[in-house]
Amino acid sequence: MAHKSESTSPQSEVKTSNEVQFEASNQLNTRDISEIEDKLETGQPDEADIEMFMQIAQQLESELCSIVVGQERVIRELLLALFAGGHVLLEGVPGLGKTLLVRTLSDALELKFARIQFTPDLMPADIVGTTIVTEQSEHQSTASRRVFSFQPGPIFANIVLADEINRATPKTQSALLEGMQEHTVSVGDTTRPLPRPFFVLATQNPLEMEGTYPLPEAQLDRFLLKVLVRFPNAKDLLQIIDTTVGLQTLQARQIASGEQLIHLINTARAVPVATHVKEYAIQLLLATHPDQEDTPDPVRKYVRYGASPRGLQALIMTSKVRALLEGRYNVSLEDIQTVAFPSLRHRIILNFDGLAEGITVEDLIETIVEETSTP
Amino acid sequence: MAANAPSRYAITLQEEHEGDKFIENLNPWRTRLWIQQILRWTEYGIIVSMLCACLLLLISRFIPWPTASYWAFGVAAGITLCAIAAALWYRPSFEYSARYIDSQHTLQDRISTALELRNDSTPISVLQRRDALRELRKYRPETTISLWPGRARLLTFGIATIAIALLLLLPNPINTYLRQQAALQARLNRQIAAINRTRLAIDNQQTISPEERAQIDKILRNIAAQLQQSSNQEQAQQSIAQAQSQLNQLRDQQASQKAQGRADASASLQNSSNTNVSNTGKALASGDSKALSSSLQNLASQLAHMTPAQRAQLSQQIEQAASQGQNNPLLSSALHQLAKAIADNNPSEVSDAIKNLESAASQDSSNNTLNNSINQASQSLQNAANALASATDNSPSQNTTQVQAPGQNQSPGQTNAPGHGQGVSGQNGQNNTNNNAGKNEQVFVPGQTGSGTSNISQDGSTGTVQSGNSVPFSQVIAQYSQMAHDAIQNSNIPPDLKNLIQGYFNSLEGR
Repeated sequence: MAHKSESTSPQSEVKTSNEVQFEASNQLNTRDISEIEDKLETGQPDEADIEMFMQIAQQLESELCSIVVGQERVIRELLLALFAGGHVLLEGVPGLGKTLLVRTLSDALELKFARIQFTPDLMPADIVGTTIVTEQSEHQSTASRRVFSFQPGPIFANIVLADEINRATPKTQSALLEGMQEHTVSVGDTTRPLPRPFFVLATQNPLEMEGTYPLPEAQLDRFLLKVLVRFPNAKDLLQIIDTTVGLQTLQARQIASGEQLIHLINTARAVPVATHVKEYAIQLLLATHPDQEDTPDPVRKYVRYGASPRGLQALIMTSKVRALLEGRYNVSLEDIQTVAFPSLRHRIILNFDGLAEGITVEDLIETIVEETSTP
Repeated sequence: MAANAPSRYAITLQEEHEGDKFIENLNPWRTRLWIQQILRWTEYGIIVSMLCACLLLLISRFIPWPTASYWAFGVAAGITLCAIAAALWYRPSFEYSARYIDSQHTLQDRISTALELRNDSTPISVLQRRDALRELRKYRPETTISLWPGRARLLTFGIATIAIALLLLLPNPINTYLRQQAALQARLNRQIAAINRTRLAIDNQQTISPEERAQIDKILRNIAAQLQQSSNQEQAQQSIAQAQSQLNQLRDQQASQKAQGRADASASLQNSSNTNVSNTGKALASGDSKALSSSLQNLASQLAHMTPAQRAQLSQQIEQAASQGQNNPLLSSALHQLAKAIADNNPSEVSDAIKNLESAASQDSSNNTLNNSINQASQSLQNAANALASATDNSPSQNTTQVQAPGQNQSPGQTNAPGHGQGVSGQNGQNNTNNNAGKNEQVFVPGQTGSGTSNISQDGSTGTVQSGNSVPFSQVIAQYSQMAHDAIQNSNIPPDLKNLIQGYFNSLEGR
């Protein structure tokens, strides 16, 4: 797949060495990935590809589970989003290993990792980068001249951890929007592609809501999954003690490269989905809308807006990945039901009654899954 | 290596073959599911049909429904046949079979996906199909799809069988009511037939004017129609009473007095020494118009040869007859006119008087015939009423005494049409309950107040006294005979009929 070429402005005709190095590495990265994608588009993944997927996914999952203890479900859901090529919003109280999880993931995949700690005074330029004036020496002379050069922000990484994303202002939060959806960043009048693969893993703390800026629905919808990080149980806590406060420091071994990851994403997309499974996913999605005919009563009573078509895409894509992770070559109804919770929980907006009565989206999704008849 | 690699065409053929193989492997499951569906739907059909039959039989215990059992059987058979036909017609599809296998063995939609993508040649679809086929071969349709009915269905079938057996075997109380209604309808039909025969007989009587025949015909037609629509005994009796009232309105109220006057006048004339006058009296008595005309013409011819004294005597005799027959004003007036004309010896007046006398006699005879027809119709209606009442009298709650005359072989409720031995007199206009020997008759007398009902029936050989509120025949016959005697004496019944009625009661007392 050919990416949109970078547009240049007269202002940036003369480039600094730093910018030239960045663009060169970025262009190389983009060219290699395009070649891989072109190769994948010409033919369907074969048995070897699928075996590779299963092998890598299994190794990656076991590697993550060995380091991040007691969060097997979170790891599984993170892998679902990773192999589906989507972004994840992790919600949980501090200290549960969210950052460790993301860092371990980047280590295991040999990807460039960047962490952005969101604060109220964080500016969009702190994320996407900015154009600065730098000194550039002339060739064959000792004179130098001042030129504008682009200083890329931390978003130019393969895995971006947006820590406590709800602490930044909406303006800063929206700096992520284009990158998450289009995989490009526009600074000034220049649009630059982000490296591939590109994953945003955002975290937010559900407890300290004072001084926070809840993510708008439009931005929430761009996250493929919303994963709830729950507190580990006593057994897991014991293992955490053994593995973290001793002399031994665990380091994830490299499982796959970025190119392989893109290959695995395309492999997962090839998993077939039967018509009745698609119809069931559509029924589930429609059941989240209060104005639909077959909507369950609790949804009709407590929901303001239902999930968008992106929710359906999330259901199908993550179900495909789950099928492969489970060792199957097809998507089942159980896959759809399982991924319905992380795929839909941030796409269903409660109304005032729902909020006032303390209704949780989890309960509503459970009701929807129970009351939607399987074909 | 490259030479040994299968060509693309060979791979495609192999994939198509795998798709066919998948269908072949799925087919036994589909057939087994079809057999199970036929058996199961048939079981459901039988159970539902039995429940429907139970419902219909239950309804028939609350609502009169004579054909309920036939309907129950028909509905049950229909539902069962429909269930079997539907099971045969709607054969399970491959898609249904695949989803059934997926759900039964928790195969995570492997089979249904493979079925849908059986013609897909992408590598992952081929892998999926092989995986599904491998999973499918682990199971057998004979062990997965049971053909035996479930416990719940067997239990429901047993309950439905017991319920339907009870409903069929236990007597239905509403059937008694239905039989009574059927019997009532049969009696009504017989009475309607009898009334129609009476109506036809009256229509054939040419001596009655067409207008009067039409009136009687209309009344009898109406009562026949009303009886046809009657749903109970009371309604039928009320209709008959109304028809009798209408017939009585047609009847000449002075008929009996006129008949008495005519009889007196004719008797007086018969006592005359003059042959022609005596013949005139006889003709008047018999109602023979031809004989009357002949005798009056002879009398007119005789007048020319008679002396004044003889004419005066003849005039006096006729005048006396006119006085005797004063209860019949028209006849008396004609006789007065004839007596005066004879006394005046005026031939033209005599001729006019003779015409008037013939006319009066003719009109009188016509009225008499009309009354007889009305009596005949009224008697027919009375017989119908009696027949209907007699059938009801069989129930202990009725307060009517039925007495069946000796030598009768008629069942209760049956009546006789005129001309079949019923003693309806065509001459005196009175109700006659006497029968010829060997013919059927029913006689009803009022029941005894405060003593229950009496129902005595005799079939000619052995008498039967019914139990319950019936009273012995011998206890009431004397009283009834006295009542009949008193009634006869206080009415204008002709002497011959009085003797007939008295003889009837004497014969009853003798038994």
